[in-house]
Amino acid sequence: MKGYGLTAAVALALVATGAGAQGMVFTSWGGTTQDAQTKAWATPFTEATGIAVVQDGPTDYGKLRAMVEAGRVTWDVVDVEYDYALQACGQGLLEPLDFSVIDRRDLDPRFVSDCAVGSFYFSFVLGYNPANFPDARPASLADLFDTERFPGKRTFYQWAAPGVIEAALLADGVAPDDLYPLDLDRAFAKLDTIKDEIIWWSGGAQSQQLLASGEAPIGLFWNGRLAAIQADGLDVGIVWEQNITAADALVVPKGAPNREAAMQFIAHATSPEAQAEFAALTGYAPINLRSPDLMDPAIRATLPDMQTAMQINADLAYWGEHRDEIAARWYAWQAE
Amino acid sequence: MASRVTTESPVHAASGGVGPAAGHAGSATVPALRRRPSGLALALPALVLLLAFFALPVVLFLARSVTEPQPGFQNYAALFGGPTYLRILLNTFIVGGVVTAVTALLAFPVAWALAIMPPRWSALLFGIIVLSMWTNLLARTYAWMVLLQQTGVINRMLQALGIIDEPLRLVNNLVGVTIGMVYIMLPFMILPLTGVIRKIDPMILQAASLCGATRGQAFRRILLPLAAPGLAAGGLMVFVMSLGYFVTPALLGGTSNMMMGQLVAQQVQSLTNWGLGAAAAFVLLAVTLLLYAMQIRLLGRPEGMR
Repeated sequence: MKGYGLTAAVALALVATGAGAQGMVFTSWGGTTQDAQTKAWATPFTEATGIAVVQDGPTDYGKLRAMVEAGRVTWDVVDVEYDYALQACGQGLLEPLDFSVIDRRDLDPRFVSDCAVGSFYFSFVLGYNPANFPDARPASLADLFDTERFPGKRTFYQWAAPGVIEAALLADGVAPDDLYPLDLDRAFAKLDTIKDEIIWWSGGAQSQQLLASGEAPIGLFWNGRLAAIQADGLDVGIVWEQNITAADALVVPKGAPNREAAMQFIAHATSPEAQAEFAALTGYAPINLRSPDLMDPAIRATLPDMQTAMQINADLAYWGEHRDEIAARWYAWQAE
Repeated sequence: MASRVTTESPVHAASGGVGPAAGHAGSATVPALRRRPSGLALALPALVLLLAFFALPVVLFLARSVTEPQPGFQNYAALFGGPTYLRILLNTFIVGGVVTAVTALLAFPVAWALAIMPPRWSALLFGIIVLSMWTNLLARTYAWMVLLQQTGVINRMLQALGIIDEPLRLVNNLVGVTIGMVYIMLPFMILPLTGVIRKIDPMILQAASLCGATRGQAFRRILLPLAAPGLAAGGLMVFVMSLGYFVTPALLGGTSNMMMGQLVAQQVQSLTNWGLGAAAAFVLLAVTLLLYAMQIRLLGRPEGMR
């Protein structure tokens, strides 16, 4: 409904400003992330180019596929998970990006591919509520699986995505270099040891609620969400040791009606300034390598890109290739 | 980050759950059409609309269950071939059954009270019940989450009163799903039940007691059989609505209580595995229609759907 309201408003605005004004649609996940994308990317983009950006959402892979297959695409730029972007590119659902418009020289090469550039990247980090663990503090992913020393429910991301499986393997003693190909049998065996103690979070707001209320005093979280609770003045423990990175991506669905505007938008959104601004607003890391120099050092210190020494990069290409089979097994295991 | 989606999409899934309500309106118009042929002309635009924008897309989507990824029945083989999906199907029935039973138990006294209250009071109570249906489903479900969690109001109060030592597990399991769904389903049971109980002549109960029936006997042998059509109508509606439920189990349940609606959404939205999603949707639809047919056969058309 919000989308329709905005569409109507923009349509009116277009009529009011007369011919020549151009528009495009940006779709993301809603919530604070999309608010920040509007503020850091869309608004300055419209000011600079005169191209109006209509916000839509939430991102829905089923809808994206339906649009492309029916040849009626209404989204121009979509924020998706990076591993999904790789898979969808292989399925021919995405336009190849125009790197004569998008300047890739300064972009983090981990997050650049034919159909996708990073939107931002984030880390899964161990977070805990210190009030629940007065004696010993959790310090590693192994502690996340140690229900004797750290009793209570633990919370994990519900959906099949890079992060939890890697965490289970690392906690079980797999060396970071040996993570891939993922040993799913071993990962699920490790997860089985705490399965009754798991509460799944399906969205960022829920993860914050679970931790802050003490319903689940320990878990694996998106770093930005923990930074947000801390900013609200709550005491939260963050363990950066073995933080696991993954990323979101910006893509253009095949047949997008405003392809050129879409490329310009992505070029703008991945610029050093826009990436720095977004990172400052959300606590997620910029994918433009020149952005960190533009940022306040105090904010920079809280970002995942300052934790590279303790960082493990999820292999997004591996995930893009094996997404479906991992997901099928993941959901079957959850329902068991 | 696929899941930030779930706070939005349940709304669509829930608003799609108009099955029983649509059946209600549809069958109610049929006799009227027979009496007055002009009624058909009036209903035609609505019928065309329904056909073009509801029936046709449903059929097209369900057709994918036998065409994707290849033509054949592989999706149905996958659904019925392993324990996982059968377990989800079973869960769906367990949740639907438990919710229907608890709803009936709670709704009966309320319906009875509504039927025998002075009209002014019953109108007020009725208003309150209907008003609860106007509040956004998602908001109501989140409210339960806050109330039921370990550090929530209910557990805190029980602990403060010394009734329990350890917080009860009221959410992220079957208990949470049941509480959340019963609360939402209650009006759908109370309304038809009240209608039926109101029509029962109070003199019949008086006669029973004059003939020496105890209160229990009067309830079991007089009131309950007479109210059965209302229970059947409400029960069917609640059970069928529960089968396709999505938002409440997703937010208040654990993954081991996963229901078919969640499976369909997961396959369609996140995995874009439309073949399997469509097959699951078809199974759900077939079961619903089968139940409805059985109900009509066993009990006649339920009251309120005549």
